[in-house]
Amino acid sequence: MTIDHPLPAAPGQLEELSAEGLGERRTPGFIRSAILTQPAALVGLAVLFFFVFIAIFGSYLEPYSIHEKTGPVYAPPSSAHWLGTDDGGVDMLSLLIAGTRVSMEVGFAAALVAMLIGGAVGVISGFVGGIIDVVLMRITDIFLVIPDIPLMIVMAAIFGRSLKNIIIIIGIIYWTSTARLIRAQVKSVRERVYVKRARSLGATNNRLVFKHVLPQVAPLLIANTVLMVALAVFAETYITFLGLGDPSAISWGRLIENAFLGNAVLNNAWWAIVPPGVCVTIVILACTMVGQSMEDALNPRLKVGHLSVRRFRLRPLGGKLDSE
Amino acid sequence: MEGRADYVVKRTLFALLTVFVAVTINFLLFRALPGDAVSGLRCQHCTIQFKTALRHDLGLDKSKWEQYKIYLKQLAHGNLGLSDVSHQPVRGLLWDPLKNTLLMLTLGTVFSIVFGLLTGVVAAWRRGTWVDKGSLWTSLAFYSMPTQWLGLMIVYFVADRIGLPHGGIQSPDLGILGNPSTYDYWKDRLEHMILPAMTLGLVLYGEYTLIVRSAMLETLGEDYVLTARAKGLSNFAIVRKHGLRNAMLPIVTLIALSLGFIVGGAITVEYVFDYPGIGLAIVDAIDKRDYTFLQGAFLLLTISVILFNFLADLLYFKLDPRVTT
Amino acid sequence: MSREPILSVEDLHVWFDLSGGSELHAVQGVSFDLRPGERMGLVGESGCGKTTTILAMMGLLPSSASVAGSVSLDGENIMARGEDTVSPHRWKDIAMVFQGAMNAFNPVKTIGSQIVEPMELHGTATGKAARGQTRELLELVGISGDRVNNYPHEFSGGMRQRAAIALALACEPRVLLADEPTTALDVMVQAQILELLVRLTRDLGLSMILVTHDLPVVAQVCDRAAVMYAGEIVEMGAMSSIYHDPRHPYTRMLFGATPDLLGDADVISIPGAPPRLDREIVGCPFAPRCDSAFAPCATVAPRRLETSPGHEAVCHLNDHVVAKEPA
Repeated sequence: MTIDHPLPAAPGQLEELSAEGLGERRTPGFIRSAILTQPAALVGLAVLFFFVFIAIFGSYLEPYSIHEKTGPVYAPPSSAHWLGTDDGGVDMLSLLIAGTRVSMEVGFAAALVAMLIGGAVGVISGFVGGIIDVVLMRITDIFLVIPDIPLMIVMAAIFGRSLKNIIIIIGIIYWTSTARLIRAQVKSVRERVYVKRARSLGATNNRLVFKHVLPQVAPLLIANTVLMVALAVFAETYITFLGLGDPSAISWGRLIENAFLGNAVLNNAWWAIVPPGVCVTIVILACTMVGQSMEDALNPRLKVGHLSVRRFRLRPLGGKLDSE
Repeated sequence: MEGRADYVVKRTLFALLTVFVAVTINFLLFRALPGDAVSGLRCQHCTIQFKTALRHDLGLDKSKWEQYKIYLKQLAHGNLGLSDVSHQPVRGLLWDPLKNTLLMLTLGTVFSIVFGLLTGVVAAWRRGTWVDKGSLWTSLAFYSMPTQWLGLMIVYFVADRIGLPHGGIQSPDLGILGNPSTYDYWKDRLEHMILPAMTLGLVLYGEYTLIVRSAMLETLGEDYVLTARAKGLSNFAIVRKHGLRNAMLPIVTLIALSLGFIVGGAITVEYVFDYPGIGLAIVDAIDKRDYTFLQGAFLLLTISVILFNFLADLLYFKLDPRVTT
Repeated sequence: MSREPILSVEDLHVWFDLSGGSELHAVQGVSFDLRPGERMGLVGESGCGKTTTILAMMGLLPSSASVAGSVSLDGENIMARGEDTVSPHRWKDIAMVFQGAMNAFNPVKTIGSQIVEPMELHGTATGKAARGQTRELLELVGISGDRVNNYPHEFSGGMRQRAAIALALACEPRVLLADEPTTALDVMVQAQILELLVRLTRDLGLSMILVTHDLPVVAQVCDRAAVMYAGEIVEMGAMSSIYHDPRHPYTRMLFGATPDLLGDADVISIPGAPPRLDREIVGCPFAPRCDSAFAPCATVAPRRLETSPGHEAVCHLNDHVVAKEPA
């Protein structure tokens, strides 16, 4: 079960990752060049950098303090307040910037947690195999079956509602898909490397193979982590909306919540409603674009479509002109 | 063929086993909470002695294992316990909201599946063109929006313009002039259901677009499509008779699987539209710390997920003649 | 056999768009005639363009392909306006036998329904008559008619191949294009399928082009053969002529090559690799791998020359034999 709805599954992600598509040359440089040739991914990367920048340097950019009433309640955008004010008279733009910091922090941190746990489990499971693999996979299955919301409720109740806990909760809920992915990957790479080594050396050195397996897995892990960030940002809005968020933290989710609780609709205060959601959507889209093109670079689909609107084209003899 | 009957039996057993595991996890989760149903009580006569006695009555002073057995026995009788807040039987409290949610969900699901099918097939057919890309990015954009936010946006920008209510399930002025006719009653209900259903539909259709498109592309790249083209079938005939028919396999499976999750999506939508369904009840219960209610509600949701997975298995089995294990 | 060709391919070219803007010139000026009742083999390594050639003849190339040249059926160029002129002839006049692998048939439909499909589409037969004819076809290729309602996965590899042949015959075509019909089948089954193909073409008066990389198959079954290399036909002629008197080093090396006993599908093992087709080739494309290459080979492209009646080759070794090109 997943929060609200499973992660954006962009084109290609729905097909099972077939690691046979992988060659031995999947270095980070290759990935980078794969991204640079895709405009969508570039845009996504640019967007992400923008938000990360704001997250890091935001506090210098906030025009007003977010803890004080600096304008009238629900004031529309003006030259003084570019995005108007919220139901407490606090400047929306400042709130948005502060929210960027919190949301991005949660997003990246939680994705990191999920990646570390999932990556570790996946590598161990895929590499060692055997009984450990079976046990780890059963544990993964159990985590999949545990409904996420009750888990969040329970953890919030036991450990309290702080940002740190939210990050941990999100990481715990989402590591399973990473684990599965990495495991499949490690398994296939391992086979290939073992076969190669067996042919050339006869004896396999675990450490060396380890050194070969991990670099092959790293690009996929990175791609997956980027997609995790999207998930985590989304999850944060959901957790906050359920009332389980950190009451003292201003995140995009909190801003959306405030808009709702503060009757922004009745007050015609679109400026309190639109911006935080737009930020969330854009960040998630950006992550998806980047993460997906990385995954696509790792998993080229070679099938040609036999069916399309455009058929084969005719060429007049003697020339290389196109006539459709 | 015997192989196929075997499959059904195996699947059923697996589903039942999963239900059992889910029930157990449900129990463990909610008993992991600090304190119990009684400790949070605050009322005039809730002295320590009273609470102790109540605890004894509810069996909360027994060992966890004992409590587990009691829980299972109660479940077997369909007893989901008493709400921590209202002290009413949870089962009764779930029924009405569940009906409301199911109606709204069905509407939203139909919308998203139909729309997803259409956009997915067209995107696959016109692969690589702007129709394909535009359709994909649009659905992806909707999919990336926080549901509660989209709901808010729809209420703000759309509701008044088309004369639909902002929330609730019934207009306050319905029946002011005597009992409303069945037609009026349901028309009013429908009007209240459309926007939340549409919100849910918009957010979720993108997933189906991707599933359908992906399945279609996969299918259309298969050799038998080339065979069909060689036989002289038109594009349309190929899509209809070979493409869609085969793509239905993964499509149906994935759709059925995703249906289990939609129930969770109802939560956000109902909250925003103040729609009295299971989702809203859950949010309320979280707020009021009504853990017994939550336990019952989530058991329900989990079982629905398992049920849908099971149905997906059966459906796939029926559609694919190759399945025998 | 009458002398007028039933199928005439003239100067066929196929280009594929490559990502990054360049093109792959997969088929480079292929020309040949097919007479009624004739069985012609199209041989070469994988990637030489033989499958692309026959796909092009039926207009089955994807949208990344551009085609030039003519394909004449009974004197009419069916490639004149691309898809529009080709599609009416599909299955009714020209049919293809694909490799009977699992996916040539739709796995979720019965074999019978997939054979009936083109019959009804092209008006050959409908309803009960179609089903009856389907049974007969299956019997004709050696499959029990009762299996008409079986699914593809219920057939063995050999049976699927037979079913693929039955499918190709559904609308009584005059030309059969067989693409690697015996690859991935074991030797015994191979022999049966080949025998079937020979018998059918004889009994039904069909003409056939058999595409394969497997030489013994061609030698066994075909009246004529065309050897393809790097998108061109480098030698073509009667089977015995080609076999006993090869006029192109590639042909000679093919027939003399030792089979790879370790079981790879490709029997051909000439050292080196075919040239890249995304750039202009200077001189003879086979020169780098040729054991008889000499002065002109690297710089001058050899011409198509008739070394004896009906036997042509594209090699400088034949320059002294004939002064002019064949008609």
